[in-house]
Amino acid sequence: MNAPERALSFLLDEDNNEQKITYSADTKVSNAGTFTINKEDHTIANLLRMQLLRDPSVRFVGYIHPHPLVHRIDLKIQTASSTVAPIDVLQSATEDLAGETDHLTTQMTEAIHKWKKENQSGIGQFN
Amino acid sequence: MPHQRFPKVEILSIQPHEIQFILSDTDTSVANALRRIMIAEVPTLAIDLVEFHENTTVLNDEYIAHRLGLIPIKYTPPDSMGGGDCNGAFLPHRECVCYERCPRCSVEFELDVNFDVAVRERQVPEHERCLPFTVTSADLRSNNDLVQPAHFLSQEEEGASHDQGISIVKIGPGQHLKLKAIARMGISKEHAKWSPVAVATYRFFPIININEEACSTLTQDQKQQLVDVCPDRILEIDPVSGKIIVSEHAWETATFTEDLKIAQNAMKKRPEDDDFVTVEHSTDRFIFSVEGTGAMDAEEIVMSSLRVLKDRLHYLGNMIEALKESGM
Repeated sequence: MNAPERALSFLLDEDNNEQKITYSADTKVSNAGTFTINKEDHTIANLLRMQLLRDPSVRFVGYIHPHPLVHRIDLKIQTASSTVAPIDVLQSATEDLAGETDHLTTQMTEAIHKWKKENQSGIGQFN
Repeated sequence: MPHQRFPKVEILSIQPHEIQFILSDTDTSVANALRRIMIAEVPTLAIDLVEFHENTTVLNDEYIAHRLGLIPIKYTPPDSMGGGDCNGAFLPHRECVCYERCPRCSVEFELDVNFDVAVRERQVPEHERCLPFTVTSADLRSNNDLVQPAHFLSQEEEGASHDQGISIVKIGPGQHLKLKAIARMGISKEHAKWSPVAVATYRFFPIININEEACSTLTQDQKQQLVDVCPDRILEIDPVSGKIIVSEHAWETATFTEDLKIAQNAMKKRPEDDDFVTVEHSTDRFIFSVEGTGAMDAEEIVMSSLRVLKDRLHYLGNMIEALKESGM
């Protein structure tokens, strides 16, 4: 009766005009801000966080998944200088990850092809 | 790209229902993200709506509907033989423009089994006429030839089974089950029936270091003791030199138990001495093992999870771009 719809854990709430990602600059700390990403969980958050840690212009990065029943994550980023904004490092991190995923996809396809060629005689062989 | 990693893949084995590979030169977060996506976010087909016309069996409607939902549904692309990715062939039903359902977003299955009719058709001998028989997934008739229930995981399972498919309910004399089931595309986050994997795990590649200097201070008996104390048999005594060496298949069997550490602590002359043999987790090599349910071939599951991750990252990239342009 009170159970929320399961699909709301990954679909944006269009009726309430929910945005995928919002930003609020930190008032007390310089060059810092928090991104709120809706309808995401540790899968993407940890991935982004670890990639951001590789960037030397990032001074601090951390994420929180506040409650398992609340489907959003808060990602806090502080950059080392005011020349680089948190949103810029986040954008480059996302691009790097997309490039890594593409690379992994081609590697995987090639590895599967190679294995199949080496280990199966071809015609007349079931998958 | 400034700080991009370039991961490597080495396939260990591929079978229709299972794939094992080694992923290296990448971070735990990538391995974990892939694992989580394989379990929760790869789209598959599963029965989602059931209309009952007749049910005089011993199980009630919702029980049978629940069982039907858990049957793995295989989509075979026109040019291949095994279970493939259904993402391109079907639309998620929420995005489809049709009123309720259509061939573009769903597949209909019909099941009509009447005990009395079936007994006549299969010419069961007199003395067996009142024995119950099993309604299985083989009795589901699909309206789309490319989509069929996955009855068995492998040929051996098919040979070993008494039934023609996954058992749904057993019916007896006078019982009749007639229903129409609609299968739709979804992800496991919504309901576990849409999960394409039975198991998707990874373990860390072990890094085994043998401190030769320290080992040379051990007696042969002590060395044998160290080799025997490991339940996963990662060490051996080299027959020629008598030294402790790492065995060939250590990376396959390593389970990172504490036995070695405890045995070494007892052997050390002082507690702060270096260990003779250390076993650690590698931080950038992972041994993946993905086992499917029969709905999709294991390598298709991995490729599909990579596609889901790529699409997710592109979508986020676009949203970030939009946020940037709107001036935050």
